[in-house]
Amino acid sequence: MSAIIEFKNLSKRFKTRIAVNSLNFNIESGEIFGLVGPNGAGKTTTMRMLVTLLKPDHGEIYVGGHSIRKNVNEVRRQIGFMPDSFGVYGDMTVQEYLDFFGACYKIHPAQRARLTDDLLELVDLGHRRNDMVDTLSTGLKQRLGIARVLIHDPGILVLDEPASGLDPRARVEIRELLLEVARLGKTILFSSHILADVGELCSRVGILEDGKLVALGTLEQLRAHVMPHRQVHIGLLDRRDEAQIMLQSLAGVSEVRTVDNITRVSLEVDFSGDDEALHQLLVKLLAENYPVIHFSEESNNLEEVFMRTTKGIVS
Amino acid sequence: METTNIPPAAPKNFFSRVLDNPIITKELKGRMRGRQGFIIIGVYLSLISFFIFLIYLLLVLSDGLSNSDPGFLQVVGKIIFSTVVLLEFLMIGFIGPALTSGAIASERERKTIDLLKTSLLSARAIVLGKLSSAAAFLLLLVFTAIPLQSLAFFLGGVGMAEIAISTLMLVVTAIFFCALGLFFSSFTQRTLIATVYSYSSILISFILFIMLLFSIGVFDSYNSSSVSPTRFENMITVTVWVLFSTNPFFAAIMSESILIDEQSLYITTSNSFFGSATLSLLSPWIIYVALYILLTVILISLSVYFVNRPDR
Repeated sequence: MSAIIEFKNLSKRFKTRIAVNSLNFNIESGEIFGLVGPNGAGKTTTMRMLVTLLKPDHGEIYVGGHSIRKNVNEVRRQIGFMPDSFGVYGDMTVQEYLDFFGACYKIHPAQRARLTDDLLELVDLGHRRNDMVDTLSTGLKQRLGIARVLIHDPGILVLDEPASGLDPRARVEIRELLLEVARLGKTILFSSHILADVGELCSRVGILEDGKLVALGTLEQLRAHVMPHRQVHIGLLDRRDEAQIMLQSLAGVSEVRTVDNITRVSLEVDFSGDDEALHQLLVKLLAENYPVIHFSEESNNLEEVFMRTTKGIVS
Repeated sequence: METTNIPPAAPKNFFSRVLDNPIITKELKGRMRGRQGFIIIGVYLSLISFFIFLIYLLLVLSDGLSNSDPGFLQVVGKIIFSTVVLLEFLMIGFIGPALTSGAIASERERKTIDLLKTSLLSARAIVLGKLSSAAAFLLLLVFTAIPLQSLAFFLGGVGMAEIAISTLMLVVTAIFFCALGLFFSSFTQRTLIATVYSYSSILISFILFIMLLFSIGVFDSYNSSSVSPTRFENMITVTVWVLFSTNPFFAAIMSESILIDEQSLYITTSNSFFGSATLSLLSPWIIYVALYILLTVILISLSVYFVNRPDR
């Protein structure tokens, strides 16, 4: 894989506020890259500079080798952009809407008609093609938005909060649609506050805070960086205090905490060791007749990584 | 999604290129799809017809129904024609900015402007598309009123030159008022603000015109010098003449009066504001058309600049 988007020392300032501060990273061709960060971290500003809506104060972005400053049209040709909140033309039908944007990208009318059909099928809106856009639900409008960004067959999709404001079903549908689009070979850069979505979809994640990139890598890499040990949750019916003392004495266990939640109390164990060592820990608990009701390892939780990486600073 | 090979398009002429602009198609379709377009045209023509009927009735009743003097009918024809043209100016001034002051601002309000700006459409195509579609609708209003203007032909007193000049002035005015609304729309965030700016600027220009008219009247009554005016004084006369000519009503009425009194379409010999000498001046409609074309070009260029400007 080669870098299709290169951020080089990118900075942007709004009056006295530094929105983006010396960003340097690449996005590989064909990957799904998630940009996360607290509100005001600089995600949207970064995306708007990438899609040529904002001019950087310093630095450069290259899209497929083209500078966003010098080759604006070439960059626009390669990118399909969906802003965080975008409007639709309510007085158009679904088909007209896609055809209009096809024309905006100077696609030949004959090709537009075929592309519109294909895209409506892809986003499962074929049966609504003659309906006015205004009559679509938020989720369907978002799907139409994804069809729109694909109309000129760009190699890169830049999606700012594509799942915001959607109900759980629509969110899952959008997630699946994005995976389908990624299978077409598109590179996807998207931002989201729904970290579970980012964790599930993205091959790599960049965490922005205060305009700076504070973490970058696969979820496993990030987790290994901020959480060097494994985290195991153990639920017990009884003898919790006893189990806590026993576990603390074991090799590989660095800390055991009691975690209370509404339904049950469990132990959270910071453990260093391989799967075999983890298995031995469970065997020991059972051998000593502790009433274990669940034993699970914390999966690569982006939320945890995010909370440990960021400090809640807003530029 | 495979791509097919589309044969290269044949070279396009200017009009094909203009009509290729998707914004024009979209806007015109949107405007004519609902009832709004037909209602505006209906109300516009009804109002003009009503005024024509009213004026005809008043003139005929005041001078007696039995008046068959061809001179009288010619006067009626001229008055009807002038009224229609002035009404059209007035209505274009109201409708033009309303059609375009939301053109760009509403895209910002609807949050669709980013979608257009990240497409391959240039800022010029967006601005010209919006302007052309609004101007096309306004010109439709102007041209639908031509049969009403032509009623004056039956009565006499109106020549082809007057029809041609008035239509030219109306077309230029229509495009200018559309460009004015578009200009304010290109840098404001809200349609309402752009609309307020547009109408305020029209109102202010009328107030300034009335103030100018008043000051000249006052100045004229005190100026009793009979010596030949200096070059500077002549320049002031020309400047004031040009300023007067920026007003559509003044330009139309004065041009008509020059045509009647001096039988001239292009030049008038007018008294200088200083002394008793006369000056040869261009007929106001020429100044008006040239000035408004220039202003329209400036407003369009500024609109393109504001739309093209990256967000701050």
